[in-house]
Amino acid sequence: MIGKRFLSGLTAAAMSISLLTGCGGTPVSNSADSKAESTQSQQAAGSSAKENEPVTLEFWNVFTGSDGDILREIGDNYNKTNKDNITINMDIMPNDTLQQKLPAAIATNTAPDFVLFGVENLASYVKNDSLEEIDDFWTATGVNKDNYLKNVVDLSHINGKMYGVPMQYNVQYLYWNKDLFKSVGLDPETPPKTMDQLAEFAVKLTDPSKNQYGLVLPTGVTYMQFLWANGGDADDPAGNKNLLKSAENLKTLSWLQDLTVNKKVTPMNVSGSDADALLQAGKVAMYMSGPWQINGLKEQGINFGIAPCVSGSAGAFSPAGGCSFVIPKGTDAAAKQGVYKFMKFWLTDDILKEWSQRNGFPVWSKTLLEDKDIQNDQIIKSISEATGIGRSYNLGYALSSQIDKDVMIPMFEKTITGAATPEKILNEASDAMDKILSTSK
Amino acid sequence: MNIKNIEEFHPRAQKCAYLFIMPSLIILTVFVFIPLAASFVISLLNINIFMNDISFGGFVNFIKLLSDGRVLNATINSFYFTLLEVPVQIGLALILAMYVARNSRYTKMLRSFYYLPFICSMTAIGIIWSMLLDPNLGFIPYLLKGIGLESVSFLKDPYLAMPTVIAVTAWKGFGYTLTLLTAAILNISASLYEAAEIDGAGAWKKYTHITIPGIFSTLSFCIVTTTISSLQVFDQTYVMTQGGPLRKTETLVQYIYDRGFQTAPYDLGYASAISTYLFLIIVIIIFILRKFILNRGETVNE
Repeated sequence: MIGKRFLSGLTAAAMSISLLTGCGGTPVSNSADSKAESTQSQQAAGSSAKENEPVTLEFWNVFTGSDGDILREIGDNYNKTNKDNITINMDIMPNDTLQQKLPAAIATNTAPDFVLFGVENLASYVKNDSLEEIDDFWTATGVNKDNYLKNVVDLSHINGKMYGVPMQYNVQYLYWNKDLFKSVGLDPETPPKTMDQLAEFAVKLTDPSKNQYGLVLPTGVTYMQFLWANGGDADDPAGNKNLLKSAENLKTLSWLQDLTVNKKVTPMNVSGSDADALLQAGKVAMYMSGPWQINGLKEQGINFGIAPCVSGSAGAFSPAGGCSFVIPKGTDAAAKQGVYKFMKFWLTDDILKEWSQRNGFPVWSKTLLEDKDIQNDQIIKSISEATGIGRSYNLGYALSSQIDKDVMIPMFEKTITGAATPEKILNEASDAMDKILSTSK
Repeated sequence: MNIKNIEEFHPRAQKCAYLFIMPSLIILTVFVFIPLAASFVISLLNINIFMNDISFGGFVNFIKLLSDGRVLNATINSFYFTLLEVPVQIGLALILAMYVARNSRYTKMLRSFYYLPFICSMTAIGIIWSMLLDPNLGFIPYLLKGIGLESVSFLKDPYLAMPTVIAVTAWKGFGYTLTLLTAAILNISASLYEAAEIDGAGAWKKYTHITIPGIFSTLSFCIVTTTISSLQVFDQTYVMTQGGPLRKTETLVQYIYDRGFQTAPYDLGYASAISTYLFLIIVIIIFILRKFILNRGETVNE
């Protein structure tokens, strides 16, 4: 009797143990291992003070496009050639995924050693005290801060403190397909300059029978350039002020809805990546996007031009952005030194030149601006004018990504798809904006 | 009856039974009871994912919830999904179960085929269907073009997106319901049908008077479990639409995820408050279903 009872107890115990190990064993041990490794390398670096202890740096970034291949190439090259025994382990993922993984990773101390993402994300991380402050970067590495354009370096500062090292700088351009312009009798060398011209050209270039559209306006993004062009704006971060409800904005939204719903110049319900594909396939004539289109268009053999964003009654503006290297809180000192070395490597003119020339990104190093190859580069020449009208939006504002997601993106999506009248859309957006701004105290 | 007899009636071996339920009890405690209690507690806090700066907020999150238009929208979407998905899935399974509830080699093969989507991961299925239905490079819009329908964008059209997600979910899930129902139908004694035939009952009479009552308890079980899982729908909308277009497919769990993990300020407290709200909705619905369906199923069986 006792034997039976003992046996059954043992079975039950064995079952529960095996189930538990089956569930959670592997991931737990994994993270523990990697932590042990990193502390080991830290100790080694600290005690012997030798520079050549191997350091492996985990690096997350959002470069999923063709520029990611070039970034990987530069990273691999660095791994092979650097004399500090640093190995960069690159993990590329879409921005959405990264923004979902990183906060939890930082909170649980499993974050990578450094990350590369858009500067618009900086503020909310800084507000939660989850990025390392790197004010000592310039002195620690001996890189000359004054050699880089101040407006670009400033993108990585929040409240006067530096949290990121700039990696690239960009604004949105207007791309146009010269062959399509020619086919409808427009001058292939004259892109639209004003919003009215943009509308006029777009109508001419739209031919539903050929599945060809004049302009592509993907949803899921914002079109600040149109609001600014007519003198409107979304909000004023300095005074927490809601600027949405204005006659200028109403005019812009009405113009935009007329263009998409009545004149039907854009394919409906396309995402950003769909729009990229349509432009590369020669199915749309005009598209506003960043420099990352250039490589894809070259590869597809599209005969394209790059122009500044169109102007309205108040001038022409283009949303400026950029990407920065940042170091999550909790990265240990040895790894941080390694990251500084890679950042310094990135800021050399050789790398910046390669990046600008191969990807069509604006140059922001003063010594590089005087470089002959750069001065003679056709694409870089044509983007310099387009880059001049860059304007940043809600930069350094902790609420910026929430405003984008909950107010601006839905507002433009509803306008473009014609879900409601512009008045109603603007009122709803303004109410949503009030709600978000009221949380900032 | 004396005390000794009672002891014999509850023999000590029962203690061993606790050991046997221990494996599932531990798992349930770790993965269900503790998280459940934790989310109640978290919903009363002001807390974000970075876990610094935590403070007690009382019912602030719940008050915020009542005036949040996206919660209302998500609630409507979740109910829309449930009210359409449950009947479609159960109905499809019921009709096909009648057909495959025979033990020939052909019907056995069919049953396996119908079960196949259920064992696949929703993520993989979601991605495959998104590609098949993509208006630019999808196979199905291409076929539709062949019969003269111009570029239908199933998952990107505000009015078609939810029905499309429902259709894919029903397609994936009906095999499971079908298997349960088929087993129940095969369990009904053949003598009942014979007796009915002798009494001159037709196929429809046999179906409504023998088959349906015979499988009612299984059927009601299916209805309850499908309803619960429909109210908790997440994977399919997350993979196929991300809640868009125009938030027409943003269900409650999708919104919880968005608030807690997708959008700054990653407000875990608020996300937990919405989870609690969803929990209460599901509890109420189960009580209603118990009263009208589960209990009836039991009386029918008696």
